[in-house]
Amino acid sequence: MDRRNFLKVVAAGTAVMAVSPSMISGRLYADDGTLYAAYEKVQLVDAAGNPIKASGLKPEVNYIFNYPHVGTPCLLLNLPGKTDVDVKLKSEFGEEYVWKSGVGKDRSIVAYSAICSHQMTHPTPKDSFFQYVPTTKKTMAYDKSGIIVCSSHLSAYDAKAGAKVLAGAAGQPLASIVLEHKDDDTLWAVGVLGADKFHDYFKSFKPELKEFYNGSREAKKLVKFSAKTIPLTEFSQELIQY
Amino acid sequence: MGKAPVPAATGKRVVVVGAGPSGLTIAKYLKKRNKAVDVVLIDKRAVFMSGFISNLVATGILPLDFITHDFLAGARNSGYHFLQATVVDVDKKSKTVYTNEGSLNYDVLVLAPGIDYDYSRWTNGDMALEERLKTQYPAAFIPGSETLTLKSKITDFEGGNFVITVPGGNYRCLPGPYERACLVADYIKKNDIKGKVIVLDENPNITIKADGFHSAFKTLYPDIVEYMPSTTISKIDLDNKVIHTELGEEIEFEDAALYPRVRGNKLLEIVGVAKDSVFNKMEADIDPFTYQSKVDPDIFCTGDVRPMGFSKSGNTANTEGKIVAEYIDMHLSGKKLGRDTWKSPLTICYSAVTSDPLKAVSVNAEYAYNDEKKAFGFANAGTMEKWNSKDGVNAGKGLIEWGKGLYRDFFM
Repeated sequence: MDRRNFLKVVAAGTAVMAVSPSMISGRLYADDGTLYAAYEKVQLVDAAGNPIKASGLKPEVNYIFNYPHVGTPCLLLNLPGKTDVDVKLKSEFGEEYVWKSGVGKDRSIVAYSAICSHQMTHPTPKDSFFQYVPTTKKTMAYDKSGIIVCSSHLSAYDAKAGAKVLAGAAGQPLASIVLEHKDDDTLWAVGVLGADKFHDYFKSFKPELKEFYNGSREAKKLVKFSAKTIPLTEFSQELIQY
Repeated sequence: MGKAPVPAATGKRVVVVGAGPSGLTIAKYLKKRNKAVDVVLIDKRAVFMSGFISNLVATGILPLDFITHDFLAGARNSGYHFLQATVVDVDKKSKTVYTNEGSLNYDVLVLAPGIDYDYSRWTNGDMALEERLKTQYPAAFIPGSETLTLKSKITDFEGGNFVITVPGGNYRCLPGPYERACLVADYIKKNDIKGKVIVLDENPNITIKADGFHSAFKTLYPDIVEYMPSTTISKIDLDNKVIHTELGEEIEFEDAALYPRVRGNKLLEIVGVAKDSVFNKMEADIDPFTYQSKVDPDIFCTGDVRPMGFSKSGNTANTEGKIVAEYIDMHLSGKKLGRDTWKSPLTICYSAVTSDPLKAVSVNAEYAYNDEKKAFGFANAGTMEKWNSKDGVNAGKGLIEWGKGLYRDFFM
């Protein structure tokens, strides 16, 4: 059987996007569809197109893949320890949901939308203010590292707990990318949990999307089949972190 | 007076006066929280210009369109009404706002009109002098024409002393005058102008990021910036272009940006919700935990008119605006606001110290209430003042992204 991160969603507030569990290719991801959106099932592959193996992910390295849209970057991390389980999270306007856990043998692999939930700072091919700060480094945003930090306005997110807000002005967690880890050690992205910022992002970054993705129409297209997953140091020319 | 040209309210109506960082954030986040609330945002200006980042525009580092934005974009993207009008009066009893475009009714009124200048210490009521000061040497801390005047002053500067004053009290944008001193000095240096920047500071020391600014003055501009703390101006002689201080100094100037003390916008007095704060004249007379006027709980006063001593900065007003939007939403649904519902705004700001490459210092802080002092103070504050390091260069980039993030939050 596939080892998946099952998602249990607590119904509250209004549904952003209701997806009946039965509609998701016969798989069960959520008890109800609150704040869960299924997208194309996409395999994570390396720059050469070879499948990424969960056991091959270096710990605490920032990997980037674009999902669910061609122009929306996500962060993939192999954390140094097991993630928390069944983390209760709340969107900016009160919708509650539960982030189940990381995936992989050690339950240490997580993925999040890399668009800051505060003011949408995100990694671009030019630079990135947004990244996971490994436990060996320090950050101004929080008294501990091993967390995700947006150095634009110093929002800090708990990488091992569904990107819950630890500090700063962000009003809600990062949207999580729901991963599946298969028996052959491959990784697949299947959907987005939590309140995402995609709509505002596409509206706000038209010039940048033109520069990096041939325009917002191209950038909005859904990723299909596979998503190229590369270290952030290769994705962005420059990393900026406090 | 006829009705203002806005559609009839479709739900409870919140009228927000002032489309600066505070009003823009409140209008947007009220709609985000509760689509049924009808929000009208009123501003007298036709175009938005930000005060933050404006020193970089005045000194030619960034183009004018970086800080110039479209009010209609905010209205389109967030679904509130934007009314370009000047509020002339408010009738609290009938809950009516009177503008030069007509009147409109509200269920909740938000006053976020920002600062006015208080020239009285320099002019003693001499209105002719005040007008000359405003016209010839504007402070350029209320964005718009003042920013453009400052830009042309710097562009056309041929040499001599360029005077920048720093007021006492809780003035808008604490690091602004020091950042400006650095960037004008940077301009003088780059363009090989025989000039100096003289900073006349009413305060005993640089009020924020002091280590960073002191070291920038000393290291980058040792022969250009002259910093004079604890300097109280006793007389400004515009005919002879000399500033006299209480200590008897006479400072000649070729050009200047003279920043007087600030006070609450005069609209607060017109509405009858103003009171002198411990910092400034005629700021909002509100419950500091709920932002509600002490005379009328349906009137919220926020942004730079708040009397709490928070940093008067765009970023503070932005984070505070989201909190106040939540309070208003709670108030509309009958929930009681009080100290238990209070949340702290956040202050994060960057200041540039040199342009090529852009290097900056930064501060980040929250606020906490001190029961003994009965006042708010900084909490969890941190600064990054090592501009002369990789962090300083990063902060220069951070400054640009920080500003862009705020504009996105206001208008998208």
